[in-house]
Amino acid sequence: MAAAEEASRPFAGLSDVSISEDIPVEGDISVPVGPSRRDDEFSTLDEPVKDTIMRDLRAVGNKFIHVLYPKRSSALLRDWDLWGPLLLCVTLALLLQGGAADSEDQGGPQFAEVFVIVWFGSIIITLNSKLLGGTISFFQSLCVLGYCIMPLTVAMVVCRIVLLGGSGAVSFAVRLTVVMASFGWSTFASTAFLADSQPPNRKALVVYPVFLFYFVIAWMILTFSP
Amino acid sequence: MNAAGQERRASESELNISSGNVGNDHGRNWGWVLSGIICVNILILGCVLVVGSAYADIHITTPDLQVFLIIIILLTSIWMVYYSVFTAREENAVNYKDAHAGHPLASFFHLFFRTSAILVYLLCDILSSRFVVCMVIIILLLSCDFWTVKNVSGRLLVGLRWWNQVDVDGKSHWVFESKKVNSKNTTPSAESRVFWLGLIVCPIFWILFVLSTIFSFNIKWLVVVVMGLVLQWANLYGYIRCKLGGKSNLRNIAKNYLGVQIFKQDLI
Repeated sequence: MAAAEEASRPFAGLSDVSISEDIPVEGDISVPVGPSRRDDEFSTLDEPVKDTIMRDLRAVGNKFIHVLYPKRSSALLRDWDLWGPLLLCVTLALLLQGGAADSEDQGGPQFAEVFVIVWFGSIIITLNSKLLGGTISFFQSLCVLGYCIMPLTVAMVVCRIVLLGGSGAVSFAVRLTVVMASFGWSTFASTAFLADSQPPNRKALVVYPVFLFYFVIAWMILTFSP
Repeated sequence: MNAAGQERRASESELNISSGNVGNDHGRNWGWVLSGIICVNILILGCVLVVGSAYADIHITTPDLQVFLIIIILLTSIWMVYYSVFTAREENAVNYKDAHAGHPLASFFHLFFRTSAILVYLLCDILSSRFVVCMVIIILLLSCDFWTVKNVSGRLLVGLRWWNQVDVDGKSHWVFESKKVNSKNTTPSAESRVFWLGLIVCPIFWILFVLSTIFSFNIKWLVVVVMGLVLQWANLYGYIRCKLGGKSNLRNIAKNYLGVQIFKQDLI
């Protein structure tokens, strides 16, 4: 009986509990806003233009330095940009251009030739590496290949300076060594970035087209005659 | 009596305003008809010129095409300037009252690079005897325009931005974002009109250039015009995706729009 009574009044002891009215009962229900990364990105929406320009310039300069001293850095690879490849391609095309006589007709096709070779070659190499199952994205690969043309552009400048002095056997030997050194440097720098994104048994399949690409450009530089 | 007189005056002024609005609507409709007729005429004339230049026995030369396109550019710029000036007189056109606020430099550069690339392409024979100089100038102008529109004028003039992001594990995806503005003012400002006009009109020119290059077998310009086409349309596509926001399906947008309209009808 006593147990039944107690069971029927389970909260009997609480019947005289009350909260006085002057204690405010309130609280906050807050919903978590989302990834805080969004705040970072919106803060760059209103940044002054000079900041944007300096940031992009610094990124481009950083990549040029990385081509000079190639060592793998995944952070570098992540923000790609195509300014370097564009400037290098235009410079190379301009330097390779004064070959024929000073007629305007001959200038156009050679310029367009270099452009088409560089960009189509890069696109084909990228497609090749993607088809082989690479983890690198399309524009990242274009970025790497374009930036690694820098040693060959430097070699072109050196060749033109050497050719100012004459085009004998000595100058040819000098040009040959310079071009071969820069070709090796370009291939080594680009494979340092590209080959790591491939499974190990496919590395040679990816390196060979890159080798061929830089070889063609080096050949154009070596056979240039003003 | 005074209250009745005031009511009559208020209703008269309302009638005046409404008839003025109807008059404006009539004028605006005739304006639309006139613009439509002019646009169709220009389109037909352009097609005739491009097709005619492909036949050797019709004597349409390059200067003819140049003159035609320069006339179009002049008409379009006059229209843009007039529209901006005319729009600025409306009440809620300009969000900023301060003459120094807004982004005049961003608007100027947004239009400057695009129009100077088109002008240099058209006037290359006059500007320089060497073809390569023009080509390099146009390529540099096109890339500067692409960078400016993508990184500066989009976010400053209309608050939209798009970019490519690569995660830590190497996957890349494209991000389109728009600034969330809680303003009751839904009419676009003059700056956003300038932005969208510049963004939409110029890629059409580059399509005309590609077609004229292909049909007149002027292959040496093909690299430049294809690059111009790709860069300008990339920006247009990016900003349209930003504007449509997260709704990637046009059908959803249409459904939402119709739903809102029906809802409004029910309320009224």
